[in-house]
Amino acid sequence: MMIKLDRVLPILLRLAVPVLVLGLFSYPPGLRPNSAHAEDAGNLYNTPIDIRMGNRYFERQCSRCHGFDAKGNDETGAPNLTGRLRRASTHTGIFNIIREGVPGTAMLPVAADVPDATVWQLVAYIDSLRYDPASVELAGDAETGSKLFAGKGNCSDCHMVNGRGGRLGPDLSRIGENKTPEDLLMAMMDPDQEVAPRWWTVRAVGADGVIREGFRMNEDSFSLRIMDIDSNLWSFQKRDIENYERREKSTMPSYVESLSDSELNDLVAYLFSLRREVIAQ
Amino acid sequence: MKNATAVLTSLFMIATAGAQEDQFATVIAPAFTPITWERLVDARNEPNNWLMYSGTMDSQRYSLLDDINIDNVNQLEMKWAYQIPVIDRAETVPLVVDGIMFITEAPSSVVAVNAGTGREYWRYDHEMPDDLRICCGRNNRGVAILGETLFMSTLDAHLIAIDARTGNLLWDTEVAPHDSGYSKTAAPLIVKDKVITGIAGGEFGIRGFVDAYDPATGEREWRTYVIPGPGEFGNDTWSGESWKTGGAATWITGSYDTDLNQIYWGTGNPGPDWNGDVRLGDNLYSDSVVALDGDSGEIVWHFQFTPHDVHDYDSIQIPILADIEFDGRERQVMMWANRNGFYYTLDRSNGQFLIGKPYAAQTWAKGLDPATGRPIRVAGMAPTYEGIMVSPPIVGATNWYSPGYNQETGLFYVTSFDGEQEFFKRDEDYEEGERFTGGGGRYTSPMDAFHSSIRAIDPETAEIEWEFPIMPRSSAGITTTAGGLVFTGSADGYFFALDASTGEELWNISLGRRVHAAPMTFAVDGEQMITIASGNVVYTFGLRD
Repeated sequence: MMIKLDRVLPILLRLAVPVLVLGLFSYPPGLRPNSAHAEDAGNLYNTPIDIRMGNRYFERQCSRCHGFDAKGNDETGAPNLTGRLRRASTHTGIFNIIREGVPGTAMLPVAADVPDATVWQLVAYIDSLRYDPASVELAGDAETGSKLFAGKGNCSDCHMVNGRGGRLGPDLSRIGENKTPEDLLMAMMDPDQEVAPRWWTVRAVGADGVIREGFRMNEDSFSLRIMDIDSNLWSFQKRDIENYERREKSTMPSYVESLSDSELNDLVAYLFSLRREVIAQ
Repeated sequence: MKNATAVLTSLFMIATAGAQEDQFATVIAPAFTPITWERLVDARNEPNNWLMYSGTMDSQRYSLLDDINIDNVNQLEMKWAYQIPVIDRAETVPLVVDGIMFITEAPSSVVAVNAGTGREYWRYDHEMPDDLRICCGRNNRGVAILGETLFMSTLDAHLIAIDARTGNLLWDTEVAPHDSGYSKTAAPLIVKDKVITGIAGGEFGIRGFVDAYDPATGEREWRTYVIPGPGEFGNDTWSGESWKTGGAATWITGSYDTDLNQIYWGTGNPGPDWNGDVRLGDNLYSDSVVALDGDSGEIVWHFQFTPHDVHDYDSIQIPILADIEFDGRERQVMMWANRNGFYYTLDRSNGQFLIGKPYAAQTWAKGLDPATGRPIRVAGMAPTYEGIMVSPPIVGATNWYSPGYNQETGLFYVTSFDGEQEFFKRDEDYEEGERFTGGGGRYTSPMDAFHSSIRAIDPETAEIEWEFPIMPRSSAGITTTAGGLVFTGSADGYFFALDASTGEELWNISLGRRVHAAPMTFAVDGEQMITIASGNVVYTFGLRD
């Protein structure tokens, strides 16, 4: 469906304004709380120019595997660097990975003659792709959003959070770790915009002639596994499938009409709060 | 001396006594006989062995073995597995020589195993510097053999010779300085009394070449640059000094025609890959096939598939040679499904374009000039600063994965991908040893949204005869047999067999990890086997006993 821009913009603006004050989901250079850690005091190369230099180096040296947008590549196995990093949580940690590589993987160390300053600029760039969630101020109220999630929004009919809820949509227990508030809002307003292949739906007629429809849990060259709306798991060999239709859309409704702007904001605040690490208040 | 002889004799007696009690004592080690040039030329007629990367000099990957065939291929079972200790991409195509298999491993190692059991004889680990410049993972695709010596490329851009009986290093020659961006991953090709080998590094502003080395000493016999220097034909197809850093890496193995005495070798993208502004002109001989004189290495003819490429459409596919009926008469042809999305049949005696058509999704060209085969470009498809969607994507409609040709069906088989990607342009200055690509790409759809398949092409019409869909996409090569089979693998970890005539699926097995390599087939004690690398495991299959 088409979303009217005049509906999105006011909501996003309300989100963005308080954030802008703190630097658009990222800390202004020098104010980053991490730099207070002794082990991180080393990165002096984090001015906007350094970040741009780091970006340039990244595009040239790293994008072949990690992608031009740093979002990773499932073919090369290179991870997404725009969300929570699994192998490093500090600037020094990122620096060491770039310097030393990751043994046993395709992640090689940078050449020994690349100066430390360049590596730190790269660290600054990678860091600029992420932001400290504690720095984000949202218009909505997470507590109210939590009630909407289980109540009026009917979200928990399909989505699980911390072991409770349905199975007919992605588990959202840690959704705040890799999604921005904008991502979350857009997913509720226009669910078809980005649908992971796991949540496409497939209609297949197998050897028994029965039509079965469900989420495309896994499909490969020779077989297909789906989960139907009653959570039954079905597996097919493709050679036995007589009829096959795939819908690369979401089964989730848009909440543009059914929830108000403030309710959407509350849900965004709740979803954004779902993460494993404790957020310092 | 007497004493020494006595000691040796007693040692021998102890060893013999020990062997009698050894449970493996009844296993007789296979004989290994030297591989002469004549045996390499006639490799198709000893199908129990797989004597070079592409099986035979014409690179058809067509085996005469037919014990495994369309009627019994569903009876295949695993005979043995060998685990590669270093975790990285296994792109190896092993050789089998008289019951011994030579497997290459990441980063640049080779191991000799019993081809019937997978048990190790010896291994060689190449000592490597820690400042490699490689674009796309640590891998090695295979060795070549002549006499009793194996020849292998290494990631630090050396060519080495190893004793095939023991794994001892015989010589080690630096082909090019690795810290300038050169590396080597492909199996060399033996041509008469020389070791022919290419170079990788097309993303580092190298200048590509094909070399020949003396197999006994490792001395270089000749070097032919595939980017002409000043005063040479084609140098004026590079603006300014851009020929010096123009890439055109020769990073896959070529083929050889014994009658024409021509070596055929594919060349890679011009550099920087995605910014053509700094290298105006056709950029010869990037994205081409060059035919080299089998003795002197001089360029006899060339055919450029993608003049002035700005999408990284390397033409390093393996040239498949065959003599086929074309327009009512027998022609010596070369078959080529290019990374740029077009299939070509060329006359390999002179490089004449015979026919060519798209075999996969492509949006960058309206078609090929019917007389010359030169692409007719669609305007405005070059990468931009903002990004522009083009098909094929950077990985190509196909890439380095070996295609195959079956003499019975007369069909050419290729792993193909119908994808698209946003291409970006960037401004970069060349710095020695640094990446020099001038941009990059980005997918905007999940991989599962794209179509991918094994396609069978008639070389006379360039039409697709059948296709078998796979997903998401494959980087596996193809082997085809007189048993009427096409063997290949997929990125989702299957190894499978298709009917070479119809494309019908006959057998598959899930091996659990991505197949990055091409299968090869051989026989031990009269039993046909087929080997494929998947993940970090080399699996060998044969018929149920």
